[in-house]
Amino acid sequence: MSLPAPLRIRDLSKTVPGGRVLFEGLDLDLSAGEVVAITGESGAGKSSLLNLVAGLDAPDGGEIWIGGRALSGLNEAERTRLRREQLGFVFQAFHILPHLTLAQNTALPLVLAGVEGDTALARAAELLVAVGLGGREADFPSRLSGGELQRTAIARALVHQPGLILADEPTGNLDPETADRSLALLLDAARSRGASVLLVTHSVRAAEAADRTLVLGRSGLRNPHAG
Amino acid sequence: MPADPALPPTLLGWMVRGEWRANPVRTLVAVLAIAVGVALGFAVHLVNRSALAEFDSAVRSVSGSADIRIEAVTPAGFDEALYPRIARLPGLVAVSPVIEIAARTTAGDPLTVIGLDPLRASRVTPALAAASGPGSGMGFGSGSGRGVEDAVWLSPATGWRAEPGAGSATFEIREGGRRLVFPVAGGLPGVEAGRRIAVADIAAVQQKFDRVGRLTRLDVMLAPGLGPDAAAQEILAVLPPDARLVTPEAETRRTSDLSRAYRVNLGMLAMVALLTGGFLVFSAQSLSIARRRPAFALLRVLGLQRRGLFLQVLAEGASLGVLGAALGLAAGAGLAWGVLGLLGGDLGGGYFSGSQPVLEISPAWAAFHAGLGLAVAIAGSLFPALEAAGAPPAEALKAAGRSGDPERRPPLVPALVLGSVGLAAAFAPPVAGLPLFGYAAIALILAAGVAAMPWLARVMIAPLARMKAPVPVRLAAARLAGAPDQAAVALCGLVASAGLMAAMGLMVSSFRGSVDEWLVAILPADIYLRVAAAETSGLDPGLQAALAALPGVTGMESRRSLTLKLAPERPAVTLLAIPVPPGTSVPDLPWRRAPTTVGPGETPVWISEPLSRLYHLAPGDKLDLPLAGRSVRLRVAGVWRDYGRQFGALAVQRSDYVRLTGDTGANEAALTLSPDADRAEVLARVRGALPLDLAAQTEIAPAGEIRQAALKIFDRSFAVTYALEAVAVLVGVAGVAATVSAQTLARRREFGMLRHVGAGRGQILAMLALEGAFLGAVGAVAGLALGAAMGQVLIQVVNPQSFNWTMDTRWPWGLLGGLTLALTLASALTALLAGRSALSADAVRAVREDW
Amino acid sequence: MADLTRRTLLTAAVPLAAAPAVAAAPAFAPVVPGRQLVFPRDHGAHPEFRTEWWYITGWLEENGAPLGFQVTFFRTRTGLGEDNPSRFAPRQVLFAHTALSDSRTGRLLHGQRIAREGFGLAEASTRDMDVVLDDWRLVRTPAGVLKTQATGEGFSLDLTLTPTQPLLLQGQEGFSRKGPRPGQASYYYSLPHLKVTGVLGRQGRRRQVRGQAWLDREWSSTLLDPSAVGWDWTGVNLDDGGALTAFRVRDARGRSLWTGGSLRTAEGRSWSAPNGAVAFDPGRTWKSPRTGAVYPVAPTVRMQTPQGERRWTLTPLFDDQELDSRPSGGPVYWEGAVRVPGGSGYLELTGYAAPLRL
Repeated sequence: MSLPAPLRIRDLSKTVPGGRVLFEGLDLDLSAGEVVAITGESGAGKSSLLNLVAGLDAPDGGEIWIGGRALSGLNEAERTRLRREQLGFVFQAFHILPHLTLAQNTALPLVLAGVEGDTALARAAELLVAVGLGGREADFPSRLSGGELQRTAIARALVHQPGLILADEPTGNLDPETADRSLALLLDAARSRGASVLLVTHSVRAAEAADRTLVLGRSGLRNPHAG
Repeated sequence: MPADPALPPTLLGWMVRGEWRANPVRTLVAVLAIAVGVALGFAVHLVNRSALAEFDSAVRSVSGSADIRIEAVTPAGFDEALYPRIARLPGLVAVSPVIEIAARTTAGDPLTVIGLDPLRASRVTPALAAASGPGSGMGFGSGSGRGVEDAVWLSPATGWRAEPGAGSATFEIREGGRRLVFPVAGGLPGVEAGRRIAVADIAAVQQKFDRVGRLTRLDVMLAPGLGPDAAAQEILAVLPPDARLVTPEAETRRTSDLSRAYRVNLGMLAMVALLTGGFLVFSAQSLSIARRRPAFALLRVLGLQRRGLFLQVLAEGASLGVLGAALGLAAGAGLAWGVLGLLGGDLGGGYFSGSQPVLEISPAWAAFHAGLGLAVAIAGSLFPALEAAGAPPAEALKAAGRSGDPERRPPLVPALVLGSVGLAAAFAPPVAGLPLFGYAAIALILAAGVAAMPWLARVMIAPLARMKAPVPVRLAAARLAGAPDQAAVALCGLVASAGLMAAMGLMVSSFRGSVDEWLVAILPADIYLRVAAAETSGLDPGLQAALAALPGVTGMESRRSLTLKLAPERPAVTLLAIPVPPGTSVPDLPWRRAPTTVGPGETPVWISEPLSRLYHLAPGDKLDLPLAGRSVRLRVAGVWRDYGRQFGALAVQRSDYVRLTGDTGANEAALTLSPDADRAEVLARVRGALPLDLAAQTEIAPAGEIRQAALKIFDRSFAVTYALEAVAVLVGVAGVAATVSAQTLARRREFGMLRHVGAGRGQILAMLALEGAFLGAVGAVAGLALGAAMGQVLIQVVNPQSFNWTMDTRWPWGLLGGLTLALTLASALTALLAGRSALSADAVRAVREDW
Repeated sequence: MADLTRRTLLTAAVPLAAAPAVAAAPAFAPVVPGRQLVFPRDHGAHPEFRTEWWYITGWLEENGAPLGFQVTFFRTRTGLGEDNPSRFAPRQVLFAHTALSDSRTGRLLHGQRIAREGFGLAEASTRDMDVVLDDWRLVRTPAGVLKTQATGEGFSLDLTLTPTQPLLLQGQEGFSRKGPRPGQASYYYSLPHLKVTGVLGRQGRRRQVRGQAWLDREWSSTLLDPSAVGWDWTGVNLDDGGALTAFRVRDARGRSLWTGGSLRTAEGRSWSAPNGAVAFDPGRTWKSPRTGAVYPVAPTVRMQTPQGERRWTLTPLFDDQELDSRPSGGPVYWEGAVRVPGGSGYLELTGYAAPLRL
């Protein structure tokens, strides 16, 4: 019996408050260690899709399974716990807390799961080494460049060994060269740890780095090369 | 997998430490706000408690373990024949006769002379009749004396010290024009510090002070098992009208009643200061949370439960409370210590004279005040915590701050409900002699005002945005109008403290004006003369005539003023025997209502407003007065205003007084001078006309001087109140500084954008200053309106219920205008300062960060 | 020598007499030989003298168990406030002691009262024996019967004392020398063999008691000899109807400075012992666990009578009859019920805890 898929979506639909339908009948399957990029026009609902997958928003129809568990069957506290255990996040705006050190920022998912402080910081330090920020554990974010901030975010997304990483325009705030390096780091790190990545981006270069690229439209996801 | 913790302690520690490191000033202001409230509350409590404890021990050491006491209603005492009558009653273990005389030292300090029979007192008042060791027998105290039968034993506060090898010491006592020199037999170590007491043998005191046959007190110890009530029945049956039965409960009640209203008022003020601190914490936490909305949203996304976030914010508030409370307790103890040393137990109110109480700190009360501070801090964080936990994380992660919909009108109903309930509470009667509902009304009105701020901020700011004005003004107005909720939050603390300041200012100004008017009314003559500590002696008729005949004196009124007790459990009241001007039937007094006439054969008495309220007497009522050892029936014929004697005063016509008592002496006189007389010359003549002994304890002063002195005392007793208020306003302004600077720092992106679109640095600073000024002005105006309402409650409800006097409202326009100006300027200045530091950062980078 | 104890108690306990060396010392009436005692007048108080007492000691029987008791009233003229018009002027002070010796208790139970004279609360009549001190009283009825009431810690006495013998005038017809100097003397008479009936209240229970007592009456103005530190005194009702009185004043080395006493037979023949005719041989001692004082509680009294030497060996009812009156300003002394072969009485031992100060 194989492990349940990190992400499985069936017949998902979402309508924004104004009544506009974002998408309908959306299906998606991610296998372990697979990186899928989702592109689409602004306002197509890419971020909304990520929010739905993260359990931060509720769909109007359809079902999402993360690691084999259906989100519709979970209450808010259970969804919060699922996020904490199964998901990693990388944001366009980094969202590194300015008054915590890099190690503390990185260790947040572990600490939220109740891991004791020193243990969590030690794990965070390992991850920071892995993203090339070894020795900077005690630094505060104000002294970091955008690329360094995003690398910290990548370390944070991986520190608790989630099965699925949700990345929302991770390269949007970075110059092209830094963007390439950051993305490569994220994908390499994820793959080497067997984590799947759902990457929302409108950067063609970013999409090219994925195993698969899908375009989000009103009728769901489609392969850009298939007609 | 570890259990699912609602709030991991590691996270709490990191977040709290991080926040403090990032915003030390703002955190400190919130901590200080709590600390100030706790410190004031705790200090007032400590001062009260120490003063009360000191009071109680003073009562105990003088009345000892007496179960009940029989007291004279006037300083003239009662006939000593009562002593054996009481002593023979069954069930009394010991009866100690006492004569107590109010005298003065040569330095003019009040001195209580107590005459005791040590053989009787040793069982009842050991502190005064202490056997200090084998051999001293049942003597008064320490030391060996010669000629002890007419010697005095002196408490440490009299300044007398035993000096080994010194010859026989003597001590001079002044009373009623007499100077008496006593040999000193020793000290009274059993008397607590601060009390000036001279103890001598009862026979010597009766003889030397010319009180043979008189006693002022009997201390009674009951047989075990005999209750005071049972004994009281027996005693009351033989008690003459010039003596009263007092139980220790009644005594304790009386002494604590002395200053209770004053102390409760101060305590309430301190609580209000703490409440202001709570608003400031609310304000600070609200802004801090608005600023950190994305951070909290991130934690929620990363897996922090909703309940965990709620607890996180609450715990942050609690940590402010814990620090503030600890700081407040220390500061409060220090403050109390300083106040007790500087002003004495009554905070300068003049209620307990000649004593320096010892600071007493009880852990339970310290915990109570700390808990109060903590509770206020947590309560102040409650709404922000609920709001933070309720925010949807996905949206909050994107939007830096939600300022509320400017178009939406916030509800006014809660404020109106609070205000109405407050208004209703203002009409409720006092509880146990205290204006508790009055204070509830003030708290409710304050809460109503704060609750109305979101609505009020919109109403007041919206017109600003439509003004035609230079760019910075419009920018500032637009900014405030666009984020009215933030403005309202920033204004909470400011409105609360400004309102309280205005309320107190209004009350004090009204009070002072009324007192000033009253002083003019009661001091119509030119020169006043008062013999201190001479209620049964003073100016004899010959001396009165001599004074009236002095050149330059065109008129003279002699008065007798003495204290007596109308009810055993209440403090003594003052009886004034004053002349009635020729051709009229009523004396010159500041009448509250026109006096009435009494029936033929009846003797009129005119009562002061406090007495009328305390004893529920009105014109036409009968009043039985203990005078010269018997009970005299008088008819109340009028009520007059009196701010000088809180426990009540009565006036009778002097001719009636002389007829009833035979006492033709006087201890006060009012002299009217001829217009061309040299005042200084007449003063010297008056002084010269007095016998030397009497002159030493006679105060002679022109009316103007007395008025000034009275107002000075008034101002001093309110100085503490002013100081309290000033601290509250300082905290309020500090709160504005903190909120404005917090907002300014949070708006660095906005400034960066403005710089990008071409606004100059100066324009941005001007905009910020104007924003601050608008905020300060709105807060001041709202606070003053609120203060006017609360001030009216203080004037119309709290004062009459606490002190039993009324006053006319007088608006302190200068103070109110100055307050508005000061708050406006202070807000503008702090906004400007905060803006400068914000703009010094790289605005362009600030934009890039999150754009 | 009960008188000396009593006087010392007075001077120590009366605060206003704490300094007898008042500049204008009042003229106390002198004790002179040859004064004829007149009764009932001399049963009453003599306020012109410095000190005076009515001293009752005796034995009671309660349910067959023997008890010792003491009820004593003192009067002192302080020499103070003589010209003060106040009724509180402390010219005369009255005080009183009572004690109960119960071998089952093993120590003395006692009580005391003190007050300056006046207001009818503390008075001593000058016409007959009638002393009032608050709720305590000693009064002689016209029939010559004495009645007394007193209360102490956990007990009260309400006794009637009926004389069975004539007055016993001590010394020379009531003039009793106390020291080597002529002025050191007192007026002194006794009433031995008083028949006692009455009520003893104990912890709320009242019991009829009966027994036999001794009254000492003495008044004087003079002081103890400066070299004296204490004294021994005993008064014994002999079973054959006789009455024995003996005392000696001791100096610091335990030698007798002065002795005195008397012996009266049942038939009423009385003999007064001159100085030197009485001796106290110490015998067994008892050490107080409280004060450490060592008392000769079982002395042998020797008396050189014209008929030859008589001896009485005294045996205490129990040892611990020490009275510590320091809390009320008095001395520590031993005052206890004693038996002799063929008699019972009281023994007083003073100056053993510390020299008596005057």
